[in-house]
Amino acid sequence: MEFKDNIPIYLQIEQYLYRQIALGKMKAGEKIPSVRKLALELTVNVNTVQRALQEMNTQGILYTKRGEGNFVTEDTELLSKTKQSLINNELDEFVQNMEKLGVKQDELVSTLTDYLEHSEDHNEDHNE
Amino acid sequence: MSDLLTIKDLTYKKNQKTILKDVDLTLTSGKIVALLGENGAGKTTLMRIIAGVAKNYKGQIDLAGATKEAERKTKLSFTDGLTGFSDSTKIVQIVRFYSTIFQDFDENEFDELRKFMKLDPDMKLSQLSRGMREKLIIALTFARKADLYLLDEPFGGIDAMARKKIINSIILWKDEKSTILISDHFVNEISSLLDEVVIVKNHTVLEHKSADDIRQNNKSIEEYYESFYADEDDE
Repeated sequence: MEFKDNIPIYLQIEQYLYRQIALGKMKAGEKIPSVRKLALELTVNVNTVQRALQEMNTQGILYTKRGEGNFVTEDTELLSKTKQSLINNELDEFVQNMEKLGVKQDELVSTLTDYLEHSEDHNEDHNE
Repeated sequence: MSDLLTIKDLTYKKNQKTILKDVDLTLTSGKIVALLGENGAGKTTLMRIIAGVAKNYKGQIDLAGATKEAERKTKLSFTDGLTGFSDSTKIVQIVRFYSTIFQDFDENEFDELRKFMKLDPDMKLSQLSRGMREKLIIALTFARKADLYLLDEPFGGIDAMARKKIINSIILWKDEKSTILISDHFVNEISSLLDEVVIVKNHTVLEHKSADDIRQNNKSIEEYYESFYADEDDE
């Protein structure tokens, strides 16, 4: 995994795991990989993974079974909230980027609708 | 987290030349720490002094309650360049030597590490590539049970695959309480691993900062390190 330079690694690990959960790669009630395995996979310090997992335990998205490891919550409401906040993050970024390109907020919907209606054409363009 | 290593007012001269002066440094247990500085800044000397190899320094060094050199040596594991062995020495012979010299050397642990590094015990030192030699040094160092591991430039002149192996061995073999100090003059490849960074410059420890604090100030570890040398590039 490529880390951004200027954000503490434990926060980026949290974001990574939130994403895995939202994408369904780690499912409700499932055990997540061990701390050491995650550390190896992400090439980070075991301490750093532990810190990220602790925070996620506090937030309730993970829970710990003594001696067994960490599991994804089965609280569906919390899971959908998590997913919604990831969607909001993406939208924030999209809106900001469009503003930089001169697309105003009231033009966003029509720009996006227009794009989606012609999205098949765009795809064909790419394939050629 | 308790203090593991405390260095106070350390000064070291060799042939009347000052190598290190006014060094103060405290490391807590359970950390991965980079010791960064240019070649010749004094990183290796600092490690040799902590390890009790370089003597006749002024100042106090306390490693988990041990202040005398001989006592400190039993609590730390320092990468050895293997310069004391002839080229025809086999890995098994070096292991036998280590296990005689160091009471905390665990041969089973070494074997695990050796397999992980894919080293053949019957190979002679002369048959090892630079990367293999470095992997052997790391395996020997981690096979000891110590509070502090001193890795002196473990990534110098080795290829990306060997580097990856060594980094993974650090993640896998480091136990919760021990601290690893890694010296390097290039931080990029290990920056995601680090808890803390220590900068050596002008013959002293100039800065000691947590990796999270550096990143929270909107800097990469590399930018932070390079900022200490920025003035010199302009000249």
